[in-house]
Amino acid sequence: MSVIILILVVIAALFVIVSGVWVARALITAISANGSLPDIQNHTDEHNSQQDDSRIKNTE
Amino acid sequence: MHTVFSMAIVAAYVVVLTFVAVRARAAREFREFSLAKRALPLALVFGSLAATNVGPVFSIGFVGRGFKSGLLFLGIGLAYSAQNILVGLLVAPRLRALKNCHTLGDAIGQKYDRDCQVLAGLISVGLCAGFAAVMAKAGGDVLRDIFGLPHWSSVVIVVGVTALYTTFGGLRASVITDAFQFSTFAILLPVTLLFVLLFHLTGGAATFAKEASAATSYGFGTTSCIEIVGLVMAFLLGETLIPPYANRALASGTTRISRNGFILAGVFSLAWFMVMVALGISARSIIPQGTGEDDVLLKLVKSVMPAEGYALLLVVLASIVMSSLDSLLNAGAVAFTQDIVKPFANVPDNKALIIGRSATIIIAAIAAVGAVAVPSIISGLLICYSIWAPAILPALIIGLWIKRPRPLAGILSMGIGTLVAIMFQFIFPSLTKVPAIITEMPAIIPALGAALLAYVAGHWISKIREERKRCQ
Repeated sequence: MSVIILILVVIAALFVIVSGVWVARALITAISANGSLPDIQNHTDEHNSQQDDSRIKNTE
Repeated sequence: MHTVFSMAIVAAYVVVLTFVAVRARAAREFREFSLAKRALPLALVFGSLAATNVGPVFSIGFVGRGFKSGLLFLGIGLAYSAQNILVGLLVAPRLRALKNCHTLGDAIGQKYDRDCQVLAGLISVGLCAGFAAVMAKAGGDVLRDIFGLPHWSSVVIVVGVTALYTTFGGLRASVITDAFQFSTFAILLPVTLLFVLLFHLTGGAATFAKEASAATSYGFGTTSCIEIVGLVMAFLLGETLIPPYANRALASGTTRISRNGFILAGVFSLAWFMVMVALGISARSIIPQGTGEDDVLLKLVKSVMPAEGYALLLVVLASIVMSSLDSLLNAGAVAFTQDIVKPFANVPDNKALIIGRSATIIIAAIAAVGAVAVPSIISGLLICYSIWAPAILPALIIGLWIKRPRPLAGILSMGIGTLVAIMFQFIFPSLTKVPAIITEMPAIIPALGAALLAYVAGHWISKIREERKRCQ
């Protein structure tokens, strides 16, 4: 039982580290593109957003 | 030699942080200042939400609680994780789906009317200033410990630097620097835990389990049921959709990103709490038993890590406080411009940007002054939680879900929720004491009940009025 608890704790620690690395990579992409990345994404994102919006309206 | 290395690490961290803040570039229009053009990708939304989550309370506070009461606080922390996931599933996508919406006040204004928006704006600005004062105090405390400066000058430095990049960069600068601060912290503390488990925990898994069991039994033995219920309520509702979180929901690239960002932040917070509580439990066999809760993390790191690691942890801790502070300053400034100024005046975009920047500086100044009056970090936060949840949540969440929200219900719920919370918190705090158990019930419980009742009453009165008009 004590080994299982410790394994869970180690998995949680590794998950947190991986999250930190993932966000760091996204940050490097964002600042190396000098802020242009989100603006480029915006076109496709607006399209996706409109699809999602209509789905929410349909459920209301 | 150690001091030189430590100073070099601190200086290198500050240089990289400044570089990141400069690369975030200045906002050129109000939409960029307030919502980063509604184009944030998932990783940045998640990083920014999680950075605001893993502030001093959920790092220093949870390590201390793990040290004293073992796994008890992990259970209570589950309420916070559940809150994030529920907001992601039920509220964030609906909020993001609203058009031309910059703030929670905007959302309430669209669902109810202008008066409700202004009231929500006033509550948002007041609460952001209050939360910012608590963060300014926390940042001042950490900086004082690092450099031995007087507390007031530490507060001025923390607030000044944060206000500088938030004033020019707006939400985008806040999110980008949050992501940097989050990445550093999310790598540094789990590495510290793994280092402790590998090299400093004598007795291995059996010692860890024994300490966890002893601490948890002590925690349950010294905490009453009503206290546990109160803590679960505070963690479940206290930080729900406070203005900085709502701004991230609104600034997400899509409704899907908005939903997934909150869900991931909820899952992450669970793993984070496990790591923090495990650090606290591990510390029981390394540092003296009588150590104060707020000192456990720093003492543990000081005793197991090299001096350079300790210096880096302190400076990262100061910057993680700044990441919470910048979000609050930006959210307060945007709420002031959008919910209090714009409903009364037709403000062109460039003027709105100037008003937003000026409001950032004014809220920062109020926070710096208010930091002196904050009794302690936890009690300051609990006061803000107790007012925020009853004041805004019933009107916002019900408004997003029902077909025809009535303005009277919104006004009554927000007004009465705020008044009851202030009354129980400041004027008659003894009313929240439960004599039989000799403990204190958080003001959030009666205030939330009053806000919900006021909403139902307002909705019912409006409905009767409408039916009478129709009959006439």
